[in-house]
Amino acid sequence: MKDLIEYIVKALVDKPEEVNIQETGSESVTVIEVKVADEDAGKVIGREGRIVNALRTIAKAAGAKDRKRITVEIITKEENRNE
Amino acid sequence: MNNVSMKGKSLEEAIRSAAEVFGVGEDKISYRVIHEGKAGVLGVFGGEEAEIEAWIKKSKANYANDVMQEILNKMGLLAIADIARDDEEGIEINIKGEDLGQIIGKDGLTLMAMQTVMSSILRREYGEKANISIDAGGYKEKQKMALERLAQSAADDVISSGQEKVLPPMTAGERRIVHIYLKNNGKLKTESQGEGRDRRLIISLK
Repeated sequence: MKDLIEYIVKALVDKPEEVNIQETGSESVTVIEVKVADEDAGKVIGREGRIVNALRTIAKAAGAKDRKRITVEIITKEENRNE
Repeated sequence: MNNVSMKGKSLEEAIRSAAEVFGVGEDKISYRVIHEGKAGVLGVFGGEEAEIEAWIKKSKANYANDVMQEILNKMGLLAIADIARDDEEGIEINIKGEDLGQIIGKDGLTLMAMQTVMSSILRREYGEKANISIDAGGYKEKQKMALERLAQSAADDVISSGQEKVLPPMTAGERRIVHIYLKNNGKLKTESQGEGRDRRLIISLK
């Protein structure tokens, strides 16, 4: 799953070297955290969240057999520093 | 030849060197920035070189197909992506194989997500809007035929009753199919009403 999302996100952004994907979660939920460069955030979120929603749909399709809930969250570096 | 890594005093220079290595024009080069580089004092001292990874641009259709195939592989599906059309109207990729339901999704939602992502990837790579359509096992073609049957029976109703008919809510793409199908019918007109997911086509007499 991580591989799949990482591949797509890297193809979407201008700075693939700043892409960092973490897979966390529990037995019932998988959370894919996507970190990208600030200037690339818009590219992975999209107008009205179209791209991140598409990523969630694709992740769900890929994980359909696992019977786990999957979510994809975009974390920009800016938010990261504020944590 | 595959990817090369190129350095230069500036990004422009690194790109120019890559074009020379490949023996093509700069417009035929795709690249990713590894280091942006920095201009030094007086443009000379303490600057950092720019570095890029460069490769020869593929045709849009070939690139799209490669990306689609890689996505299918990473999804763990036994499926093959194929270029079904590549002309001035756009690119069409058809996916063949087992387990196509997983790629199509409920009401074709996953196919649509693939298309959204793919068109964004192509826009980034080529710097212009890309018209791409992704189908799996002829799903969209069957969808289109079903919509055209619906349009025909609604059109027959309107003509025989003289009353307008409101179709169920549809996506922009679906409305477009119905609209085009009925365009050449001299007696009828179609218009859209409503907002967002509730937008519907209305068929009425001219």
